[in-house]
Amino acid sequence: MSDGTTSALEPLLTLLAYSLSKLESTFYKVPGSAVVARYVKSSHQNDPGRTILELILVVFAIRTLLQSRTRGDKQGKNFISFSEKEIDELVDEWAPDSLAQPLSEWEQRDIASVPIIAGPNGPKPKLLATGKTVTNLASFNFSGLAGNEHLKERAIETLRKYGLGSCGPPGFYGTIDVHLNLERDIAEFLGTESSILYSQGFSTISSVIPAFCKRGDIIVADRSVNFAIQKGIHISRSTVRWFDHNDLKSLEDVLISVEKDRKKRRGPLTRRFIVTEGIFERDGEMVDLPKLIELKYKYKYRLILDESISFGSVGRTGRGLTELYNVPASQIDMLVGSVANGLCSAGGFCAGSTIVTEHQRINGTAFVFSASMPALLATSASEAISYLRNTPSVLVTLQENIRAIRAVLEKTEGITLLGHRASPIIHFSLRNASQTLSVMPPTYDFDAEERILQDIVDDALANGVFITRGKHLRRQETIDSRPTIRIAVTAALTKKDVEKAAGVVKASVARVLGKRR
Amino acid sequence: MPSPMALNPSSPSPSIFKKKKSLGQLPSMATAASYLSAVHEADARARSHDISPTSTPALSLSSSVTSSSEDTVLHDIDDNRTGLAYPSNPPTSEQVFTTVHTEFGHCANESYRCVSQHNRDKPVSEHEIEEPPYYILITTYISYLILIVFGHIRDFFGKRFAKQYFTHLMPYAGYAPLNSDFDSFYTRRLKRRMDDCFSYPVTGVAGRTILVYDRYSEDCNYTQIYPGTKSRALNISSYNYLGFAQARGGCADAVEESIKRYGLSTCGTRLEGGSSELHTVAEALVARFVGMEDSLLSSMGFATNSTLIPALVGKGCLVISDEFNHASIRVGVRQSGAHVRMFKHNDMNNFESLLREVISQGQPKTHRPWKKILVIVEGLYSMEGTLVDLPKIIELKKKYKFYLFVDEAHSIGALGPHGRGVTDYFNIPPRSVDVLMGTFTKSFGAAGGYVAGDKVLIDSIRVHGQSGTYAEAVSPPVLTQIVASMTSIMGVAPPPLPAKTTLSLSPSSSVSTLKSSEDDVHPGMAPASAVPSWISLPPSLADGSEARMRIRRLAFNSRYLHAGLKKLGFITYGHPFSPIVPLLIFNPGKMATFARMMRGRPTPIVVVVVAYPATPLVTSRVRFCVSAAHTKEDIDTILNACDEVGDILDLKHGHGERWPLEEITRRSVELVNAF
Repeated sequence: MSDGTTSALEPLLTLLAYSLSKLESTFYKVPGSAVVARYVKSSHQNDPGRTILELILVVFAIRTLLQSRTRGDKQGKNFISFSEKEIDELVDEWAPDSLAQPLSEWEQRDIASVPIIAGPNGPKPKLLATGKTVTNLASFNFSGLAGNEHLKERAIETLRKYGLGSCGPPGFYGTIDVHLNLERDIAEFLGTESSILYSQGFSTISSVIPAFCKRGDIIVADRSVNFAIQKGIHISRSTVRWFDHNDLKSLEDVLISVEKDRKKRRGPLTRRFIVTEGIFERDGEMVDLPKLIELKYKYKYRLILDESISFGSVGRTGRGLTELYNVPASQIDMLVGSVANGLCSAGGFCAGSTIVTEHQRINGTAFVFSASMPALLATSASEAISYLRNTPSVLVTLQENIRAIRAVLEKTEGITLLGHRASPIIHFSLRNASQTLSVMPPTYDFDAEERILQDIVDDALANGVFITRGKHLRRQETIDSRPTIRIAVTAALTKKDVEKAAGVVKASVARVLGKRR
Repeated sequence: MPSPMALNPSSPSPSIFKKKKSLGQLPSMATAASYLSAVHEADARARSHDISPTSTPALSLSSSVTSSSEDTVLHDIDDNRTGLAYPSNPPTSEQVFTTVHTEFGHCANESYRCVSQHNRDKPVSEHEIEEPPYYILITTYISYLILIVFGHIRDFFGKRFAKQYFTHLMPYAGYAPLNSDFDSFYTRRLKRRMDDCFSYPVTGVAGRTILVYDRYSEDCNYTQIYPGTKSRALNISSYNYLGFAQARGGCADAVEESIKRYGLSTCGTRLEGGSSELHTVAEALVARFVGMEDSLLSSMGFATNSTLIPALVGKGCLVISDEFNHASIRVGVRQSGAHVRMFKHNDMNNFESLLREVISQGQPKTHRPWKKILVIVEGLYSMEGTLVDLPKIIELKKKYKFYLFVDEAHSIGALGPHGRGVTDYFNIPPRSVDVLMGTFTKSFGAAGGYVAGDKVLIDSIRVHGQSGTYAEAVSPPVLTQIVASMTSIMGVAPPPLPAKTTLSLSPSSSVSTLKSSEDDVHPGMAPASAVPSWISLPPSLADGSEARMRIRRLAFNSRYLHAGLKKLGFITYGHPFSPIVPLLIFNPGKMATFARMMRGRPTPIVVVVVAYPATPLVTSRVRFCVSAAHTKEDIDTILNACDEVGDILDLKHGHGERWPLEEITRRSVELVNAF
């Protein structure tokens, strides 16, 4: 019996012995391995417990290093020791600033001038203050999904099955099947392997960037990217190189210089990312995607593209820039979009390969630490995608409306129309000496210009057209760009309506600027 | 010889039809159009119901069959196999329950109630941290050591001999790996082993019970296989403290009405064309609820902290933060550019000495005084279940003149006799805190968060906070859920003049034990004018009696679970009134086993297990989140399950007196009141 087992085990044992000897020989081929082996052997011989102890020590050392927290400054050379009495006096003496400053007059006006909508928002909402119906060219309702009855029905069905809130983060029973369905719908719609859903559009990209970009990585970003991207870059602690706004020549120069730097320093290969927007939220410019992808492949960068504005608004069925330029979406490593803007629901997504999305399920802070989005908003977004698939005509209408508005505004005196002609958001600024939306000098009087623009917005509203200034948090943004007025075009209005509305805007511009002269 | 294509040009399409037909088992189709529409329908069905990415046609077919019958929770598919669908004691004729038992359990016994209120004679913490025996600590460290060593060995050989599994961790074609293997080591080698305990896909309402999709893995959790079946499990994991996660009832009715009236989105940011009157209503109500002058809503709980803290502090300011503060606070503070110091969790001595140090030293290097100091604490800590020592902090605040920010993400609604959070629990005027922040995800069954404070502050955040300018506004259905649930907690005060109409609206309002509301009394009722007229809540919600019952049921359930687990001999953390009950497991291997065993019971229970890095390395734990929706019998079920599983896994290391399970369930009321 025992003989039988031994003979059965024999080939196995030979194999084991053979592989062990092979292992040993490969180990000894590694330079310096003999020293290590000798050390381990001798220490193990003298005291077998020591090997374990040392192993534990190494682990602990690593752990302590990883856990280093901000230490107190007590040991620092700047520390001054005080007696208890002195500290008490200092405490009594200390007078903090108030937590918040009252708003300035201009800020008060700014906040008071935001119209509040009574009832549903849509192409022609009613204002709470005046009770008047206005033409809405301020809200993001590109494909006219706001108030869509199918979406509402679907949402009510979902409400009756799922309730409203998800009551948990995705990791802890907050992943509802409708989220997975929407994730798959988005991936299928765009043609990527998979996608991941965040519960707020704004927080999406500022979480996606730090999930991948760490200290030491290189980010090459457009100088005028939106605020969410800036925050993401800030949090990531990566090395940032900026290129001129929507200038791919400048991008290529930066890429070349980064490569040169790396060769000079002979640093290790780090992750490199190009971060930019499809349609820029700030001015409606559109990036030349095929060229961008060419550069990304040429210089071996990964591309993080923010399509918050372009998803659901450009392309034949609203798939965004990839559809417009007929580029496979799989060539964009991380395609970030907004469900809130494009599909009139809430939240945002990041589409890409499965590796990219699965990584975020553990490392995307806004995904991991926040409750998942309400089920009914997910199903209505799924419904919105199938609406876009089946009704390409809305995007034709949208483009017609964009052309109609641009045609009117192009002929308007005193303003400069910005952005790409297909962009659903149209920015215009006052026509001054400097035409471009470049970095403004710090001495530039933003307030004065913003006031004029606000006058135009108010005047347009009084005449029944709701538009808004392109608002930014000055001094929190990395660059302060030229103040603009922003028009968000919608397919829900007829061409006649938008032409009339653009006429009103034109008249308001003329009136306000006329008064100034 | 002609090519096969040329042989019969019309043949390809019919043959494809035939093939497909036999595959999909479709009835014969007269025309291609009717076939296409049938395919489209089948596709749509599959799209809306199956969830597994690797679904086969057979799978989606089976799930679409069940779909028709589960459209409403009232006609539930499951029989009572798990014992969760119906109450164990059938209700008598005079007991009328308006809730669905699977969403919100029926419990008529008035003795299973308790009032969440601080007893001034007791210390704030009311609990002590028990230490496990040394062998547990040692085996835990050894477990991690084994995991780490084996993980590295597997990595070492895997990278050489099984390269296809490591492509995303190795440089290829001039690209650096997307995630370095050092960063992802923990995820791949430790978390992957118990991935089956996380991210369970669920369906339906996350109420008292929850439907989870069954799944299993044949390749060590690299992929999960979904056979398409679902099972109902007792849900002790969702943040559904007051049980407002409901697909039926007054709140859901109000939400439905709001969808019809307001649609699903306000299409924009608050400052750029997305402000609705509903925002104004909700903000006024939230301010009144928490007892502040004004409030501001944000569409995501995480973003409330991460985007609004930068509006409060900046360069030259200091943030003092509890070491266990939530990730969102850390992100917000880092974005603000303020200097950060941390103090030991809830350690007031450490906190005070830190205060003395930072005020006397001033800013690093320059020694200039700080512009301002903001102390950020949480009301109820989500991983520990501990309560902040608010009375002491308020006392220190008077002396040291710092500003206080309390994150009530978990405590709002769940604590205090009126559900107004920690300030209510300790009976401290809310305005002695500078900023109150909270979320709607947890107690209110909605989504998003708020900050509340005085008007100057909130206006400043409105203008300077990031969310107003850049983030989408809260959507109308969510706002309605907030308004409806919050109103039902406050109760609607009858308007003073037309007394007759209000009487007919809420006949039982005279029963209300709350003080009648003058304008600034906190916590008072909501004046009828603060609630949109189209929201008509049923009488039990409108007079606040049901919500009061919910708050007291939650307090009972929390205390009972805490006390029961202690008496069974487990080590638990946290305050007895905390609806978060962490049970310490320590060993990483036991953690996964615990979750699997709880799920595999005749009455399945889904639990949340958390380990490093969310907790310190050794103190892995299971975190129960008690809800008002649970009945006393549900807590019994959980105690019973923990008792059995705890014996098998050797988890009972508490030092206190132990009772047998029967005694605990029998003397539950006594236990809750004495504990």
